[in-house]
Amino acid sequence: MTQPVLEVRDLRVVFDTDDGTVRAVDGLSFALERGETLGIVGESGSGKSVTSLAVMGLIPRPAGRIVSGAIQYGGEDLLAASPRRLREIRGRRIAMIFQDPMTALNPFLSVGEQLAEMTRLHLKHSARQARDHAVAMLEQVGIPGAARRVDDYPHQFSGGMRQRVMIAMALSCDPEILIADEPTTALDVTIQAQILELLKQLRRDRGMSIILITHDLGVVANACQRVLVMYGGRIVEQAAAGPLFEQPRHPYTEGLLRSIPRWDGESTQLLRAIDGQPPNMAHPPSGCAFHPRCPYQLPRCKVETPGLTPRDAAGGGFKACFVDVASGAVAAASGAVASGAVASGAAASGAAAATAAAKQ
Amino acid sequence: MVEVTGRSAVGGHGESVAAGQTARSAGNVSGNSAGSSGGAGRSEPLLSVRDLRVHFAGGGGFWGRRTVIRAVDGVSFEIRAGETLGLVGESGCGKSTTARAIVGLVRPTSGEVRLNGTRIDGLSDAAMRPHRATVQMIFQDPFASLNPRLTVGATITEPMAIFGLHSPRDRQFEALRLMRLVGLDPRFLNRYPHEFSGGQRQRVGIARALAVQPKLIVCDEPISALDVSIQAQVINLLMDLQQKLGLAYLFIAHDLAVVRHIARRVGVMYLGRIVELADSADLFAHPRHPYSQALLSAAPLPDPARERVRQRIVLEGEVPSPDRVYAGCPFADRCRRVESDCRDKPPQLEGARHQVACFHAD
Repeated sequence: MTQPVLEVRDLRVVFDTDDGTVRAVDGLSFALERGETLGIVGESGSGKSVTSLAVMGLIPRPAGRIVSGAIQYGGEDLLAASPRRLREIRGRRIAMIFQDPMTALNPFLSVGEQLAEMTRLHLKHSARQARDHAVAMLEQVGIPGAARRVDDYPHQFSGGMRQRVMIAMALSCDPEILIADEPTTALDVTIQAQILELLKQLRRDRGMSIILITHDLGVVANACQRVLVMYGGRIVEQAAAGPLFEQPRHPYTEGLLRSIPRWDGESTQLLRAIDGQPPNMAHPPSGCAFHPRCPYQLPRCKVETPGLTPRDAAGGGFKACFVDVASGAVAAASGAVASGAVASGAAASGAAAATAAAKQ
Repeated sequence: MVEVTGRSAVGGHGESVAAGQTARSAGNVSGNSAGSSGGAGRSEPLLSVRDLRVHFAGGGGFWGRRTVIRAVDGVSFEIRAGETLGLVGESGCGKSTTARAIVGLVRPTSGEVRLNGTRIDGLSDAAMRPHRATVQMIFQDPFASLNPRLTVGATITEPMAIFGLHSPRDRQFEALRLMRLVGLDPRFLNRYPHEFSGGQRQRVGIARALAVQPKLIVCDEPISALDVSIQAQVINLLMDLQQKLGLAYLFIAHDLAVVRHIARRVGVMYLGRIVELADSADLFAHPRHPYSQALLSAAPLPDPARERVRQRIVLEGEVPSPDRVYAGCPFADRCRRVESDCRDKPPQLEGARHQVACFHAD
């Protein structure tokens, strides 16, 4: 079994707000395998973006705090790394692209200058090298007339082209890991298709590992091999994309998939919506955070928080639920936690077991 | 983002061009206002839009040359009572401007908008007022479209007072009835918008629109600001209200699946024109315009098995600026089927139930 490129263990992040302390990420463990695109799905407030900020060491202080956990990258814990070491890794080894390229790019610097900044810092390029490299990167992400456009400013690019510039910046130091936080949400669907194609190509050609954070299940189905579903700061289900969409084992995943219309099938009269509202994480529900909205709710769901257990006997992935959604029956051994032998990332399962065990 | 005020050119480009004069010159086509929607019944359509154009003065070009942004450039369609027409297309295609022209938020440059046979385009605010109750609008952003200083009750009763509906006492009862109708707890009558979630605020916006008993509601991206699990609740509510109240919707969204689900007929817009207009089921199963085909092929499905094998039609480049004037088809530069005649004259929407504006459509 190969080593994962990134491993997050029992991550807990809190934010102090006027409304009290928000547990944004509450005991999250997962592993990113080399050359895979891992989707993190969830709604606003589910903790998916906070997770990516934690990996990048970008949790805003003093409001946000990492309470516990470890983020293992290449034998070192990023949470214990010095700010100086983090700066070396960030952008060089682990790069990030954000949802809104207009706010993430500096409007006062040409895109060439912004690209050059990266490689002069991390790769010690000369001015000349950096400029040539910037042009090459813009070409690589499919910006027509790159040599001419390298001196343009962000506002001179369209939304899709700006997102390409962001991707060019993220890729300019050839990172091992790319974290893309809603990279296509602000884009039109035809441009989205171009950007997703570009991400796939990077994974194929460079063996890059990608974390793709999105709320769009279509984007996940298109681009990801494996998926984490987050709700209320925790993973509620984790599996390879195929099984997750075909046979969701957590009531929230099932509810999400049933509630979205499809344009290719027959239109049914009513969608099966999930009732209620997403939780307020300053005052989260007791027990399982999803229980107030869950059609399978049991008495114990109000008091106990389910840990991650194998999704099924075949051993593909995990779910955090006392109920067997597929059969409607209550899972027999919810206390029996994953042994390390489960497929789809042994490291992740080990981490999950550790998390769950710590809870008992 | 600047989405709050609508992504149309309204925010940046100032006044609509020469609204008054050209609007009148189009008056002589009124005779044929019923007819081209595929012969669906003889009754007067609730809403009829004919050759609608909305042009904006663009920023000064180089040397102070003024450009004209053709946000909507010759759009025609009809909506019958109780029916839903969806408009889809990418940013800048003119779908939001079309919506705003219909409710009178921007003045059409030319063309006509008829409500129950009566022209309402280019009317003064006072002359438009009686029609405003018939056509209401709900907006994308439920955080920006509600007055933060008004309680839910005041938000819902305000339009009733403006239109002189009900006695002041009855307005409270009516507000409570509407809150129940849209699935809001009537106990929230005296709460303020900030106390509500996005989905609940959108329900308040819907209740306010319903307060004046409209026949048509223009919905501009009504769910795209909401969480995925909440979107279905609002879609279901809109469909439920349609059934109970016989409402018609003009439903504008970029999410194709949502439009497919809610609309009986769908128009695909590109650069200010409708390039294809057909029954929803037919359009999504058999798109005929090369742009519609590309648009659908780009839209991902929540189905990894299907996604692995789907063929995509990749469009080169991006949607061009709407300040260009085209002699022929505006899609010709990006079209995989382009032939020489495409650049000579613009294709018009043709066909019976399934209309396409393309010389070489499937």
